[in-house]
Amino acid sequence: MKLNIEGLLVYFPYDYIYPEQYSYMLELKRTLDAKGHGVLEMPSGTGKTISLLSLIIAYQRAFPLEVTKLIYCSRTVPEIEKVIEELRKLMEFYSKETGESNNFLALALSSRKNLCIHPEVSSLRFGKEVDGKCHSLTASYIRAQRHSNPNLPVCRFYEEFDAVGRQVPLPPGVYNLDDLKDFGRRKGWCPYYLARYSILHANIVVYSYHYLLDPKIADLVSKELAKKSVVVFDEAHNIDNVCIDSMSVNITRRTLDRCQNNVDTLQNTIHKIKETDAAKLREEYRRLVEGLKEANVARETDIYLANPVLPDEILQEAVPGTIRTAEHFVGFLRRFLEYLKSRLRVQHVVQESAPQFLKDIFDKVCIDRKPLRFCAERLQSLLRTLEIADIADFSAVTLISNFATLVSTYSQGFTIIIEPFEDRTPTIANPVLHFSCMDPSIAIKPVFQRFQSVIITSGTLSPLDIYPRILDFRPVTMASFTMTLARTCLCPLIVGRGNDQVALSSKFETREDFAVIRNYGNLLLEMSAIVPDGIVAFFTSYVYMENIVASWYEQGILENIQRNKLIFIETQDAAETSMALEKYQEACENGRGAILLSVARGKVSEGIDFVHHFGRAVIMFGVPYVYTQSRILKARLEYLRDQFQIRENDFLTFDAMRHAAQCVGRAIRGKTDYGLMIFADKRYARADKRGKLPRWIQEHINDGSLNLTVDEAVQLAKHFLRQMAQPFRQVRSTPATKGTEQVSTFVVWKGRWRHGYRCLNLAFQSQQLNNFVA
Amino acid sequence: MDEEPERAKRWEGGYERTWEVLKEDESGSLKATVEEILFQSKRKRCVYVCVCVLIMRHLYVVIDCSRSMEDQDLKPNRLTSTLKLMEAFVDEYFDQNPISQVCLHRNPKKHIAALKKAVDTVCVGEPSLYNSLNQALQSLKHMPGHTSREILIILSSLTTCDPANIYELIKTLKSLKVRVSVIGLSAEVRVCTVLTRETGGLYHVILDESHFKELLMMHVKPPPASSSSECSLIRMGFPQHTVAALTDQDAKPSFSMSHLDSSSGPGLSLGGYFCPQCHAKYTELPVECKVCGLTLVSAPHLARSFHHLFPLQAFVESPLEELQGDRYCQACQGELKDKSIFTCTSCHSVFCVECDVFIHDTLHCCPCCIHSQVTPL
Repeated sequence: MKLNIEGLLVYFPYDYIYPEQYSYMLELKRTLDAKGHGVLEMPSGTGKTISLLSLIIAYQRAFPLEVTKLIYCSRTVPEIEKVIEELRKLMEFYSKETGESNNFLALALSSRKNLCIHPEVSSLRFGKEVDGKCHSLTASYIRAQRHSNPNLPVCRFYEEFDAVGRQVPLPPGVYNLDDLKDFGRRKGWCPYYLARYSILHANIVVYSYHYLLDPKIADLVSKELAKKSVVVFDEAHNIDNVCIDSMSVNITRRTLDRCQNNVDTLQNTIHKIKETDAAKLREEYRRLVEGLKEANVARETDIYLANPVLPDEILQEAVPGTIRTAEHFVGFLRRFLEYLKSRLRVQHVVQESAPQFLKDIFDKVCIDRKPLRFCAERLQSLLRTLEIADIADFSAVTLISNFATLVSTYSQGFTIIIEPFEDRTPTIANPVLHFSCMDPSIAIKPVFQRFQSVIITSGTLSPLDIYPRILDFRPVTMASFTMTLARTCLCPLIVGRGNDQVALSSKFETREDFAVIRNYGNLLLEMSAIVPDGIVAFFTSYVYMENIVASWYEQGILENIQRNKLIFIETQDAAETSMALEKYQEACENGRGAILLSVARGKVSEGIDFVHHFGRAVIMFGVPYVYTQSRILKARLEYLRDQFQIRENDFLTFDAMRHAAQCVGRAIRGKTDYGLMIFADKRYARADKRGKLPRWIQEHINDGSLNLTVDEAVQLAKHFLRQMAQPFRQVRSTPATKGTEQVSTFVVWKGRWRHGYRCLNLAFQSQQLNNFVA
Repeated sequence: MDEEPERAKRWEGGYERTWEVLKEDESGSLKATVEEILFQSKRKRCVYVCVCVLIMRHLYVVIDCSRSMEDQDLKPNRLTSTLKLMEAFVDEYFDQNPISQVCLHRNPKKHIAALKKAVDTVCVGEPSLYNSLNQALQSLKHMPGHTSREILIILSSLTTCDPANIYELIKTLKSLKVRVSVIGLSAEVRVCTVLTRETGGLYHVILDESHFKELLMMHVKPPPASSSSECSLIRMGFPQHTVAALTDQDAKPSFSMSHLDSSSGPGLSLGGYFCPQCHAKYTELPVECKVCGLTLVSAPHLARSFHHLFPLQAFVESPLEELQGDRYCQACQGELKDKSIFTCTSCHSVFCVECDVFIHDTLHCCPCCIHSQVTPL
């Protein structure tokens, strides 16, 4: 169907459109018009992806000079593939409707592991191995050496691509990873490099977050993407953690040992080269004197995405003399390494800021701040000069040099914590140096600065206003959309008491309480008797789950549950978990029924969907607060309070609720799906917790579903499940418009729709208020 | 106004906001809505479609007697309630399908007795869908192809303990054209959805007791026949009921063949149905002759099964205002008060809602049509 969104002609490849999709597009268009950033929340299963794609592509076609590229960032490879499939559908619709073959190029990009077609390299199991092997076949100096020695192994796909592929652009079309591989095989070109090269002129790029947020990768891949791009972060509810992880460094004794080996290898290689090819080192020296001028020019002319590891100031200067020659630099690294080793020999926990660390290192081993800042660049240069084939071996020393650069560059936003042992095992010495980023805005800042529009979207982004604050940007639109439903297919229940009126809560004081554990067991037992097929239960942590399950076993609750359903448990071992998941699904499929016990923030809670019978109920035992005794978290909370005026409690609750919402949201993956959402903790009934749930869940929580006992919840659940089991006529009682040949004008519907709009307005108002305050 | 059948006790049901259903019209009156509701409740009828059906049915009813049957959400508990409804079902079933069988027995009385006995069963353990289906299948697969093979499962439990892969069994059922229907007492179970979808059966989950009854009664109607099912001629006997005249001194009381194996029931009697082939005596029809294996039915039985083949056409609904002439129902002669009337497509007689339902559900023929056929004679 064709839609008219404020004057923009949008092709939509389905016959029906939900009102929330329409309003989503409307908001999106306004964001693009204003050339600003946006935060949009819409529940999963309402066609978020297709709304995004069809509007942005329509915009691209209407204003080719305003928006040149869409960069769609998703989290996992299956999600990337899903986006590409939607895109394919849209493109087919376009060519059917307009009758002309469009010249859009859309492609997915993933790691070498997923794209390599070299028979030997692609058979390697780990991504790092593939990367290393590939590098050893395709690095420029290897290929240069090959001119003199043709017996060296080489990747014929890369050679072919290098010889021909760059001149011939990828023909327009939609390419997923397999399409790229097929195309590569046909032409004999390397799909990975072809894709990396093609994203520069592609209209739509779909890839993982890390290609944009992780400075090490972004520098390689996304540096040259056009400024007039729209960047979309899908499933972005955890974006702050991704940012923080990409900037944080953890150093253990193992890292240091490996680093020591790396440094020794460097030393040996330098000696060897000095005997054979001293001119090369001299050439490098000359280049370093001139400094990083080129990088500076490029950044000024706005060609590159800025790299947060490469701060502006160092671009202006030459590499300092103390680390300019290769030997001196290796000596410098040695000293730095020894210093780190001495720091790791502590007996008690140390927490210090970056300036304190710098002062200490200056006092102890006389290392200045300036050479530290150049460390990362200098190492890259050295590795290039020494023609080291397998970069993967040098990950340890790269990590250390990145750490050196970061610690000397940012005086704020980072903290250094050295822990001699883990809290749980105080007798086993396992010193770790956490260099932890506390400010997610550092990693994402270049993205906001460089690109015209950045859209942050997910099914669970409530409360919306916190994201702009922690990511430090000013959105032009913030909106939350609800789900219009033909029937009430979700049933959130807050169970606050056991049948014996004992308050249910996972809070610290009652964690060991026998009565609470028994009541939790009773809840699961009762639910296992009335919920068909699959139940997913989430605990707040692995430790808590272990305690409770052990206790249930002793009380015989597990045995009773097993009469109704089989029990599977998620563990920290990935292989074990995927095995459990497989068996769980089998048990749901053949009618035996199963319960999956898993952990909020675990693999299951983030990435696995439990559609239809795989998840008829989700039970959330307790509020999934992050482990608050962690020093890293404490430091981050302190930082948030000081820098962004976000109170600790607010942030903790926000974080807990977004994970809870993620967990319970696993069960509803579309409008035909249905499921129970059971929040088993009395604290959920409080307004501050409840108010932070996404609006599409909040809407269905009424006074009758607050602070229930187990029995009451069972009654409500039984009724709900019977209602849902009635044959579901696919009536489009949701106000949906049927597409016509003409551009359909939009009708404002009554009821729910108007309500949705009112909430939207409220969001606007509160945002305006924020701006006013700011 | 007729009260809806009480669902257990009022306070045990969910919280109902009955007033929210009511809507005021422009003048602020509630009359229109109230009438609408009344009308809807009267008109709970199925759509009558003409389909080819099988009139000889073989139906296996499997009742789950697992632990979950003890649940008290149906009063007094699920098992008792189910069995009570099953008695009604068996009666209705034989009334509508006299020449069919439930669990390979023709005698409704036997079933009811068995059901009564089952009330005292203690429900323990987990059910196995696989085992029950397999057992039913073992007997059903020997049934001739012109009859339907059906299994009706009343499933209360949400879990099943199977000795083997149930999906293999579903394939077998499908290939043998066994139609499996399930009535769930608690919630939708995936494996039942697949089972019924694959074998072409119905899957329903009850809301409450009255809904349960409704769903059961749905299974009284024979299922539509698939075009592939074979047709064949069957030998049937139509014995006359003969009672020896009281004056006849030679008449000797004799035993009915059907009561020979059971100690209970009436003993000697004078009259009865005599098999036209072997002269065995039976007191009740329909029955399969124990001696020569002939199916014995009476003509009205056959006729009642027959109406499934030629169902009465649905009457055309039209608003009362359009009616010309007298506003009287042709059947009950009462005044037409409801806003809709129903017209027979062949004789154009007008009926009210109640009579329409009665004619379609019970009579199965339009009284006016029959009346007009008779008059020319």
